[in-house]
Amino acid sequence: MDPQDLQFINTLLDGDAELRDKIKEHVVDFDRKTRTMVGTLNKIHSTPSSQVPVLLDSLRPMLLGCQNTTAALAGIIPPEQFWRWKDMWNNSLRAAIFSAVFVEFLATGHLLSLAATSEQLGVREEWKDRFIISVEDYLHGLITMVNELSRLAVNSVTLGDFEAPIRISLFVKELFAGFSMLNLKNDLLRRRFDSLKYDIKKIEEVVYDVSLRQLANPTVTAS
Amino acid sequence: MSPSATTPASSAAAFLAFRDDLDEHNDRRERLIKCSRDITIASKRVVFLLHRIMTEAASDGRELSSRAAAEGHKKLRDVQALFANIREEVRGDRFWRYQHNISPGLQEYIEALSFAHYLEHGTLITYDEVHASLTDESGSPYFPLPVSDYLLGVSDLTGELMRFAISSISKRGGRTKASEVSNFVRGCKADFEGFTPHIRDLSKKQAVTSQSLRKIEEAAYAIVVRSSEYDLTPEQLDDIVGQAVSGHGDAFDEPHGSGRRRGRGENSDEFDEY
Repeated sequence: MDPQDLQFINTLLDGDAELRDKIKEHVVDFDRKTRTMVGTLNKIHSTPSSQVPVLLDSLRPMLLGCQNTTAALAGIIPPEQFWRWKDMWNNSLRAAIFSAVFVEFLATGHLLSLAATSEQLGVREEWKDRFIISVEDYLHGLITMVNELSRLAVNSVTLGDFEAPIRISLFVKELFAGFSMLNLKNDLLRRRFDSLKYDIKKIEEVVYDVSLRQLANPTVTAS
Repeated sequence: MSPSATTPASSAAAFLAFRDDLDEHNDRRERLIKCSRDITIASKRVVFLLHRIMTEAASDGRELSSRAAAEGHKKLRDVQALFANIREEVRGDRFWRYQHNISPGLQEYIEALSFAHYLEHGTLITYDEVHASLTDESGSPYFPLPVSDYLLGVSDLTGELMRFAISSISKRGGRTKASEVSNFVRGCKADFEGFTPHIRDLSKKQAVTSQSLRKIEEAAYAIVVRSSEYDLTPEQLDDIVGQAVSGHGDAFDEPHGSGRRRGRGENSDEFDEY
């Protein structure tokens, strides 16, 4: 190999290695942030409804904290190379998306749109070739939320909230209808979508149990 | 908290948009995979063509390799046209999204191109030369060339060179050629070794290169040992070796090729005295 070319390739590879290390640093930090958030969110299963707003308030600064990470990543990813590196932070980003959409549902009962999720995590339109939230990542976040909601349906009943399973059931059914419109290929997203039916079944069982025993408030049930 | 405050209509619209997004992505992916496969097939054909021309009988080896390189480069232009076709599909940030879908074809192309280049110049094609082959008339590249694809593509060259060396060992001047090739392959192997920690799969290719190298070395050894039994000039030795291997079909058998070999076999009487 020509010594000059050898040198040139070494320079390229060293540059890539250096960038990878820098990304890695931010990803480790991102991972720590999202694990704390997901851990805190896990408390929802033992939080009575009156205490939920306090819990959510404690999560908002953490979500805001993710903006530093997304900005840092967008700052070091070279233009047009988003897809080259994104696998490195897939898991952390999906956890952050899950946290954002879950907090929104718990606070308002709404589905946080992809655009609104991007905004909450500080992802800016002008970064679009360096850092975006892809549809796939967003959908992964939604599925994780449904997984959690099936647990929440059970645990809210344990905590004495009999209306929650009904709200959850309506919300999840709508999401499921949305997912059913997609043409998923045989990948992780498809397998996770296929598993949603077990979550829905679980939620329906809970709804059945509370309705049968007339534990839920009829006005909520009627809507 | 109202029950499901998201109106079904808005979430349905969102999911419809996701569907379009995912469909577009999957369709593009499929198209690129197919294109990569076409490029692979076309590139493999170029490699076969080069081997075929190089095994033709010729008095002047130089002339043969420049003809092979010229014909190879001509065919490679068709492959380059396939790359030009996908230029739009992989424009901008899309390139890295689909890079792993097109890299099999790209590596195969680099292998064929580097083989033609070696036959013409006797050197390893550089990264810039590969990249320059994938540009339009104004010199702007169709897409970025990943270093990993360059290195993995040229690593495959060693396997082809081994085949080339073994099949030319029986020809006039073939032993010199084989030793040139083994020196070249040895050099490549040494140079690539430093890159293995950076490039996934490169260490596998290095193992294959070692095997190829061993095969050439063993063939060269066998010839030295056997030839020591005779007191001959290298030219006479070429003729003996040529005669010995004639009749053993090689990988690049062609209808008219067999006729030529039979012709050589008929003259074998003149070697009986050895």
